[in-house]
Order: sequence, then C-alpha cells, then structure tokens
Amino acid sequence: MPHIEAVTCPVCGCLCDDIRLRIEAGKIVEVKNGCAMCESKFLGYCGEHRLSKPLIRKNGELVEVSLNEAVKKAAEILAEANYPLLYGWSSTSCEAIRIGLELAEEVGGVIDNTSTVCHGPSVLSIQDIGIPSCTLGQVRHRADLVIYWGCDPWSAHPRHIERYTSFSDGRFEKSEWKGYLSKTKALIVKKKIEKALKRVFARETPSLSPHVRREPPPTLFKEGRKMIVVDVRRTRSAETADYFIQVEPNRDYELLEALRLLVRDEELEVEEVAGVPVAYLEEVADLMIRCNFGALFFGLGLTMSRGKMRNIDAALSLIRDLNTRTKFTIMPMRGHFNVSGSDTVFTWQTGYPYAVDFSLCYPRYNPGETSAVDVLLRGETDASLIVASDPVSNFPRKAAEHLVKNPLIVIDPHVNATAQMGDVVIPSALVGVEVEGTAYRMDHVPLPLKKVVEPPEGLISDEEILRKILSEVRKIKAGKMEES
Amino acid sequence: MIVLTPSRQLPFPVMAECISPDVFQEKTLEEIGELAVWEGNKQKKLADLFKVEEQNREGENEATITICGDVAEVRRIGASMTIGEIMIEGNVGMHLGEEMKGGKITVHGNAESWAGSMMKGGTIEIYGSAGDYLGAPYRGCGEGMRGGQIVVHGDVGSEAGAYMKKGLLKIKGNAGQFAGLRMHGGTILVEGNCEARAGACMTEGKIVVIGFLESVLPTFTIEGVRNKVKIKETDSIEGPFYIFSGDLAERGNGKLYVSKRKNPHLSVFEKLL
Amino acid sequence: MSNGVVFDPLNGIDGEKVDIAVKDGKIVKSVSEHRAKKIDVAGMIVMPGGVDIHSHIAGSEVNTGRLLRPEDHFKDSECKTSVTRSGVGYSIPSTFTTGYRYARMGYTTVMNPSMPPLEAKHTHEELNDIPLIDKATYPLLGDWWFVLEYLSQGNIEELARHVAWMINSTKGYAIKIVNPGGLESWGFGHNVTSLDDQIPHFCITPREIILGLCRVNKLLNLPHSVHLHTNNLGKPGNYKTALETMKYVEELANDEKPAVHITHCQFSAFTGDDWRTLGSGAEEIAKYLNGHSHVTIDMGQVIFTDTTTMTADGPFQFGLYELTGNKWVNHDVETETSAGIVPFRYRKKSFAHATQWSIGLELALLVKDSWKIYMTTDHPNGGPFTAYPKIIAWLISKKARKATLKKINPKARSRSLLPSIDRELSFYELAIMTRAGQAKALGLKHKGHLGVGADADIAVYNVNPHKTDPSKEYKKVRKAFKRAAYTIKGGKVVVKNGEVLKHVEGATMWLDVKISEPFKVTADMKRRFREYWTVEYENYPVTDRYLEISQPIPVKAEV
Repeated sequence: MPHIEAVTCPVCGCLCDDIRLRIEAGKIVEVKNGCAMCESKFLGYCGEHRLSKPLIRKNGELVEVSLNEAVKKAAEILAEANYPLLYGWSSTSCEAIRIGLELAEEVGGVIDNTSTVCHGPSVLSIQDIGIPSCTLGQVRHRADLVIYWGCDPWSAHPRHIERYTSFSDGRFEKSEWKGYLSKTKALIVKKKIEKALKRVFARETPSLSPHVRREPPPTLFKEGRKMIVVDVRRTRSAETADYFIQVEPNRDYELLEALRLLVRDEELEVEEVAGVPVAYLEEVADLMIRCNFGALFFGLGLTMSRGKMRNIDAALSLIRDLNTRTKFTIMPMRGHFNVSGSDTVFTWQTGYPYAVDFSLCYPRYNPGETSAVDVLLRGETDASLIVASDPVSNFPRKAAEHLVKNPLIVIDPHVNATAQMGDVVIPSALVGVEVEGTAYRMDHVPLPLKKVVEPPEGLISDEEILRKILSEVRKIKAGKMEES
Repeated sequence: MIVLTPSRQLPFPVMAECISPDVFQEKTLEEIGELAVWEGNKQKKLADLFKVEEQNREGENEATITICGDVAEVRRIGASMTIGEIMIEGNVGMHLGEEMKGGKITVHGNAESWAGSMMKGGTIEIYGSAGDYLGAPYRGCGEGMRGGQIVVHGDVGSEAGAYMKKGLLKIKGNAGQFAGLRMHGGTILVEGNCEARAGACMTEGKIVVIGFLESVLPTFTIEGVRNKVKIKETDSIEGPFYIFSGDLAERGNGKLYVSKRKNPHLSVFEKLL
Repeated sequence: MSNGVVFDPLNGIDGEKVDIAVKDGKIVKSVSEHRAKKIDVAGMIVMPGGVDIHSHIAGSEVNTGRLLRPEDHFKDSECKTSVTRSGVGYSIPSTFTTGYRYARMGYTTVMNPSMPPLEAKHTHEELNDIPLIDKATYPLLGDWWFVLEYLSQGNIEELARHVAWMINSTKGYAIKIVNPGGLESWGFGHNVTSLDDQIPHFCITPREIILGLCRVNKLLNLPHSVHLHTNNLGKPGNYKTALETMKYVEELANDEKPAVHITHCQFSAFTGDDWRTLGSGAEEIAKYLNGHSHVTIDMGQVIFTDTTTMTADGPFQFGLYELTGNKWVNHDVETETSAGIVPFRYRKKSFAHATQWSIGLELALLVKDSWKIYMTTDHPNGGPFTAYPKIIAWLISKKARKATLKKINPKARSRSLLPSIDRELSFYELAIMTRAGQAKALGLKHKGHLGVGADADIAVYNVNPHKTDPSKEYKKVRKAFKRAAYTIKGGKVVVKNGEVLKHVEGATMWLDVKISEPFKVTADMKRRFREYWTVEYENYPVTDRYLEISQPIPVKAEV
C-alpha cells in the first residue's frame, strides 16, 4: 500500500484530516498537504529521541527492564500513594484517556490534562457565561468577518486560515486568497521602491514605528471576507489581516469591555482604551454589528495575559451581546491535537473537563484547588503518572521540583525532560502513526487517528499500557483486601 | 470548649467539614474523635490527625472550637455552620466557613482561597491575609455571598466578593484584581490599595477604595465627588471620594467610591463632570 | 420469576399472576424448574423494562451541558463502589451515573434523540460508557443540505438513498427533524415562523421538509416514524403550528404505522399571544389525536426544579437566553444542524411554568388511547428523568395532582383544566405509556413486552396492585417506582431494591438499511463532501470499532 489517503495529522488542534502519505518499506517517505509541523511529525517520528525499552531507576540510574516489571512497579507506586497526580493526556487518544480516568478513580488520585496550563481559564469563563460557537465549516461557509485575538495562526495553526477561515472557499463566502496575493505583491513592490530610493538618495524614509496607531482602512468596509488581528505585537498573521489592532500589553480586558459598550451603540467617556483611539474602535464595532456572520478566535495571548479567565469572560460576553445584533461565534484556538478530546472524555465520565480529584471516591472539581500546578506548588502529591506530556520543562520550577522529588512514572513515545527524571519510564507507540485512536478537533469534531506504519517491536499503545497498570493495581488492592 | 491540636504534619489535603460547632454539639470527646475526615485518599478519624481535648474556662461560650497549630491543608472547616465559634491559632486551608449561616470564625494567621465562600450569615475575621476568591461562589455558580461579614486585616487575592449579593467585606490591607466582580449588592471596603478592574461587570452594590486604585474601567462613568460614604447604618468614612457608576457593559448601577486624595491620576475625570 | 402481578400490554396481560422464564438473556416458555434460579416476587408489580423514546443522555450537546454546569453537579455526587463507577448528577448526569439511575427505576432501553451526524462518533463513544441500558440514537437530518437540495429538486428517491447512507454511516435509528428550516436560517441568525416560510438560499419551506422526510421514512421502511420537534416550539400560540403539521401529513396515514411522532408535545401546545396570555392547547391537540391514528406524541412534562435545557433548536435556545439572561451555549454544525443550551429553573409560582406543568398532564389524560402518548420529560429539558416517579403519581392519582395544584401560581391554577379531569391511569395504561407503547412506536420487536422471544429486560416494583389504591396511596407507588425491587437486564439481575448489583454494558441498536443497489460513492458525492464539510469522506462514517456492543437491525428499503 504505497499511498494512504485522508490521514489525520496528530499535531495541533486543527486536526487536518486530508494528509496523504507515501509509505515505502514500512516507512513514511512523503507527506502531501501537510504544514511544516505535520511533515516533521510524520517524517521525523522515528528519530533517536525515541524511547525503545521500559526503564526503572535503580540506585539512581535508569536501567532497562521488561514491560511487566515496569508495569508492576508503576502499579505499586500508584496503589500506595495517598494523593497521586495523573497528568498529561492531551497528546494521546480518547481511548487511552478513558482508561486513564478509570485508573485515577481506582487509585483515588487527581487527574488533570494540559488545559490546566492553556485554555483552562477559557473553560472557567465558559462555565460562567456560556459560549456561542460552531464547527469550523460554519465559519468557512458563512463568516464575512474573522477576528484573531491573541493568537498567531500562521505559526501555531498553519492551515487554519486556509482550511477554515479567510482563505477557504465556502458556500456563501469565497476565499480572500487572491486579494491577499495582490496585496502582498504590492507590498513587495513598495518595499523594492523604498530600497531603491534609499540606495539612490541614501536617506531613510520614515518607517512606521511599532506602536503607531493606524485607523481602519477603507477596504475594511468593502464586500467579502474581512480579517482583523488583535495582538500586542505585529505577528505574521497580522500582516495577512485587513486591519491590525495593537493592544497595549495586559489591557485586553479593557479593550473588550469598551467594545461591549460600543456594540450597544453607547458612548465611551474616555478617548482611548488600551492604546487604541475610541474613534477607531467605534468603526470596528460598527463592522462587527454589520457583518452577516462574525467569528472570533482567541489564543493564549488572551487566556494567559493579565486578567486570565476574565479576559475570556469579557470576550464571551462581547460575542454573546453581538448575537442580539447579528450572528457571531467565538472559539478558543486549542493547541495539542487532542486537548479538546481530553476535556470531552473527562466531562462525560466525571461531569468536569479537567482538574478532577477522585480522592474522596467521587469526582470533585475546583481548578486552583484540584489543578495539577496548584497541587504541586502546595507540595501535596506523593506520586505522579505523566502520560504524553513534559511538565518538567513547562511547569513552574517549584512545581516541577516537587514533581521529581516523589516517585514519577512516565509513559511517552519520546525521551523528554520528564522522562529523564522518571523513576519508571514506559515507552509507547505513537498514536496516529503507529496505533489508531480518536481525537477531537478544536471545534469538538471527532476524527479517527490512523495507524499508518507498524510500531517498533515491543511497543504498545498508551491505552494498553494503562490497562495493564490498572489491572495490576486492582490485583494489589484485592490482595490487600484479603490480607485484612 | 474543644481544643484540637494537629498531632503531626498534614502534607495531604484534609477534608474536615465536621469541624463545626453544629457537629460537635452534644458529642463527647470520644465521639468527636471518631468523626470521619479524609486525608488525601484515605478515610481517617479526627483523632488520627488531631489531639482532641476539652478545656473549660469561665464565661466562655461552650460551643467554641479552638484549633492550635498550622492547618493550612485542612479544608472546609466550619462549612455550613450556624452557631458557636471557631478560633484558629495558625494558618487555615481553603473553603473556611463555606456556606456558613451563623456564628463566628477567627483566624490568627492566613486563610487560603475561598474563605467564606457563598456565605449567608455570621462573621469571619482573619488577622493575617486571605487568598483569592474571598466570599466568592463555586465554579459556574452565580450566587456569591448572601449575608454576614468578613474582615481581613491583611491583604486579599483577586476576585474578592465576586458575585456578592449582600453582606460586608472589610479589607484592611490591599486587594487584588477584580474586587467585586459581577457583584449585585453588598459592600466591599478596601482600606489599602486596590489593583485594576475593581467592580468589573457589577450591577449593584458598593465598593469603597481608600488607598490607591490602579485604574478605573472605561465602562464606568463619573458621577461626582462626595465627602463621605456610608459603610453600614452607623459607620461612615470621610473622603472626599470620586464616585463612579457602572459597569455599563452590564447596564449596571453599582457604585465605586475612590479616595480623591490618594488617586491624583483620576483627576482627569473631573473635567467630565 | 414467580408469583408477580404482571402488566404486559403488548401481550394483553393486565395484572395477572404469570410466571416468567428467562434463559440466555431472552424470555422463554419454560425452564427446568430445579436448575433455574428462582425469584419470588409475590405481591409485586412485574412489567417489561422501561423504554424511553426521547431522552438526551449522550453526545456533544449533552456533554457541553455537563461542562457548562459544575454547579449542577457538585452537590449530587455518586461514590465509586466495588461494582460501580463514580459520577455526578443532577440534571445532566455523567455517563455511568445515567445508566445506573435509569436502571434503578427499572428502565432498560433509552433513545437518545439528537445527534449531529458530523459528531456521531462522539455520541457513540458516550453511549458505550452508559451501562445497564440498551440505547439508540437519532441523527438530525431536517436541515441537512442534501435534504434541502434534493427536496427542492423533488428527487425523493435519491434523497432516500442518501438518508439510508446517512443512517448507516452514523449508526442511527430514526430520522430526527428539529424546527425544520429554522436551523439552516439560524446559520445567519434568523429563524422561520411558519410552515410556509421560505428558507433563505434553498427555495424550500418547512412544510416540504416534513412531508418529504415522512415520505423518505416510508420508502425506507424505517421501524419508527419521523421524530419531529415542531416549528415555533416554546412560543405562545404554537399549538396551531403543531396541529397544522399533524394535518399536513394526514395523507400519509396508513392503518399499520403512524407517519409522524411529535415529540415533547407539551412545548408545542401553547395558546395565547404572549407569555401573559399563555394558555393550554392540550384540549385541541388531544381532540385531534383522539380522531386520528397517524400521529403519536410524548409528553415533555415539566418538573418544578432546576434543570438544563438543550435542543438542536438554536434559535429557540437563544430566545430562552434572552428571556432569562442565564448562561448560553450555541453550537452550530456545518451543513447539518445547530444546538443550544440554557440552564433553567421551573418555578411553581411562575404563571408560565405552572401552565406548562399543567399542559403536559392534560395531554396525557385527555388523549384517550395511551398507545398514542408516552411519558417523557424530554430529559433534561422539562426536568431530569429521575423525576418520572413524580409524573407517575400525577397520572394515577387525582389527589396527587390536587396536592401540587394547591402550590402553584393561582392564575395558572384557575386556568388549568386538571381540576375538571377525573381520569386516573391504571397500571396497565401506565405500562403502555412507559414501555409497551414506546417500544411499539419505535418498532422494537424485542422490547417492551414479556412474550416468548423478547429480551429478558424486566422491572419489578414493590407495590401490590391488589392491596394498594394508587389514587389514595400514590406516595407508596411513587416510592416503589423510584427504586425498583428488581431490574433485570438481558436476564441478569442488575438492580435489587434500588441498588446496583452489577455493571454490565448495554448494546447500541442501529438500523442497517439495505437499499436495492449498494450506495455508490460517486465522484460528485466526494466533491460535494469536500465542499460541504471540513472533514474527508473517509473519516466521516462511524466505523464498527466505535460501537462496543453493536446490535444492527436490518431494514429492507423500497428504493
């Protein structure tokens, strides 16, 4: 089978499922349709950073052991813990997460996924306000106004604009790709002329300072799709946009609240908000009201800047308010390919999307209290299981220190900082490449992950490893019951 | 009076809603010691974690519980209590006095987040500082403080008094961001400084800032300057204060009083009057 | 199972002492007396396991409801036991808890009525995690672009083939229509207000969608009729729309099978011009049903409690948000449908809510033939399914109705028809409304009865019908129906005295619709697929691995 069609890419929340792979001698040799991140995943998955054998730390050294021994050791650690943490989950399949939740319940631990450090605050605001949203195809077919706020799809979700928003062709709205090309061409010509002038006259034409305020261009009010980018700096996506609003760092909340007032046709007393003149904002508000279908996408620039969940609170309220005037939707730009899926599975089994504490025998949820970083910072855990994640490199230092101080089990296809610090390290087959599964796109559309090549010998899926640990934990517990 | 002293360090979260005068009432020391608590994922008896003693001093309320020592990991102390008194000589964990309806809790130390969460009556006095979400409700729930009073002598974290409907928060130190978020009644007094976004999305109620307020949201409108502001029926504070009303983003009519003297940066608003 | 008082309406058994033999998960004629395990249920009511024709228990909208409302869960948790998984309630229970709570009430079959086809895998993944009950789910097809396009071309047969493909691809059980035309209009924030409104961009009306899909339903020989959530749902005066809809499909009337099921009819039975003049259209609707046999309905009863409303009717949910100011979720699904969620509290003292409560019961009591109306709350829209025992009490006892009437809004009370209705349902009628009738309407041959060959799904309630006067002792009956003495699922005792004894998985039933020529995926279909959806054709269908216990039901279509 040389070609495999319609492969889902297990990298980012876009979950593009039109990838075409060419396989030769059991290896992927060519990737079509994918972005750079996709290509490097499918072509580079088998590099030297791959783990191949289960390891256990003995006398301070990680030594190779059999899978059974590693599983037994992991089960012992978890079964004995008073307050274990089970963390990661966003880069594995829903099938594995299901078992992970069962394991967390069995050992009475805290289970949390990477939402806790990315769009967790967004979830908390949704729980206060709700969210008017849609699937991405709805945006493709209908949106004539697309806003990216605090995110840079060009670099983080490279095919988002092309597949789902401004540069995609829908039933009611057409791609703005051509317009963008001619604009880019014009820009290149302009730059060339500037350069030539500079050479000839040896003098600088005053270039725009980074903090310059630009009023909305008249083209923003033409027919067709429009794109606005709001960010603290001029990103690649901002270059693509019809209008770029540069917000003062950490002042997004004020800007959103001001817009809320303006879309209700009310007046602001101040003359500028977050570094943007109110007169410009009024024009943007007008554009939002007059569009047929608007879509706002937001990223960590909004979620993790000052105000955190309340920034999202304001964004959600703005979009909700806009729905009394027109149709408007909002969606977080989820990062990991299955972070939506892990929120989804957590929710159907426990009622809560992340940060679930099973220590009282039933699911309890209170981010800030039961979330991974917080339990680590307070030094409450006494063992951890990390699945497909690298908290040692991305958690706050104090949290990571507590994590590695206690017994640490790692299940991951790759060697990362966390695996190097682990006490039990179990390598797994790569989901979406070597084993199948399911993942949820950022708009909650479930997609199958395919198995396209055989896993290296001896490697099994996260799901199977977790099942083995779970069954071993049950054996230990049954043994203890008999003893007593 | 019942005295509880932690008999060892408590590194794991302890759920102890049973530490409440309502529960201890008319129980013997043995019975109190038998009460169930959770330490991490293990069920324990109160006596496994605390030394339980009785001390009777003249003129003291019988329904009093004193905790001697650091119980920063012990959560939900005094939850739903209606009577009596709890005194804590040390730091205390989250959800102190959650949904309490009456009685008094005094903390000679710091309290973690969600102290007085969704409280309906009674008094909490914290001599140290309090964490985030003072008096605020549970996730997704729109019903914050409904009554009673919380006094914090130190600082508080963010979102103090979120969704508050009635009652009084007195903060003698500084307050974090979003004090009085979405409040629709009640009073918050910040005697120290206050970070930005005070009163965000408030619809009713009163926030008084005597110290420096970082900034006022653009969705508030200045109403005037006043010399005095009433905190309780009998209690009032001398100003002068700028009065802002908002949050207009929620069509609100909450009042934000900000000391004029400590906030010269707000004088630009005077020209709008 | 011996000595029980059996109510098995599909086999005409009305409170007789009949022994029931079970072997290999099925009801059999007899079993070897000395080898069989015997359960003596003397003095107890024995019924087939309960069947729920309409209850939102799984899928993206239910799950988003769970996510939206931690405050709904945190005071209603269920601990893990040695046999059960933990979970939470209240109005939108987590998956395991959903299964346990249904089984505790003696229910063994539940239909999940709204599945966006694009997100069908999600629904099935959740159904896999709902234990102790058998399940099936209805794909939402009323505003699917293929439906709108083929109908505007008048190409019913081609549409039927595509619907067959869709039902097979989503592993669905029936055609579900919600506010036809309204959901496509909602894509741009609009709605339709009558059966004759033009749907923007598609040259077609709601009326044509309803009739067209009812025709498709007949062509495909689907066991259930079209499952319809009417236009104008939840708006005063909408009983006219409901009646007009029923009349319009009269031409498809056929003695054997109904043409349409109007679901949660209470929400479509309002008179009046606005919320102040709201009134009951139950009398008119019941009158129509009493004279016609091509329509079945379910109640959509309102319970006075805090719940979570969720429907595919995006514009209706938005209206509810504007009315209440509560948190609001909207989720439109490309090319297919929409969904909305708003938490809601039904209060006794509210005129509108109390009127709605009355309408549901009036419908159930004024429709003479219990085979035409089924007990539901449109869980969780009218209230959580755990409130069924309360409804049972209201249906069997005038005294129970009176007790509640006393407490409701006086204006609603004075306008309610309930004081004038003396009817009290018998246990036999109750068995029809809660299992037999529902199974019949669904065309589920092995469910809802205790005849030989049926699935051994049995509910036993500890109340003696010979010694209890349900009219007076309704509290006793209510208590018995809340916690079944036994629930037997597929021949296994899974619940005893309201406690779950065993965690067994239930099956997912789906229609394997066979059309005359196998469905060909043409290049045109693939092209349209690329244009309409943002996923590839190959990744769209629900493959077998998504159903843990798959129970296909073959259906031979006429196209």
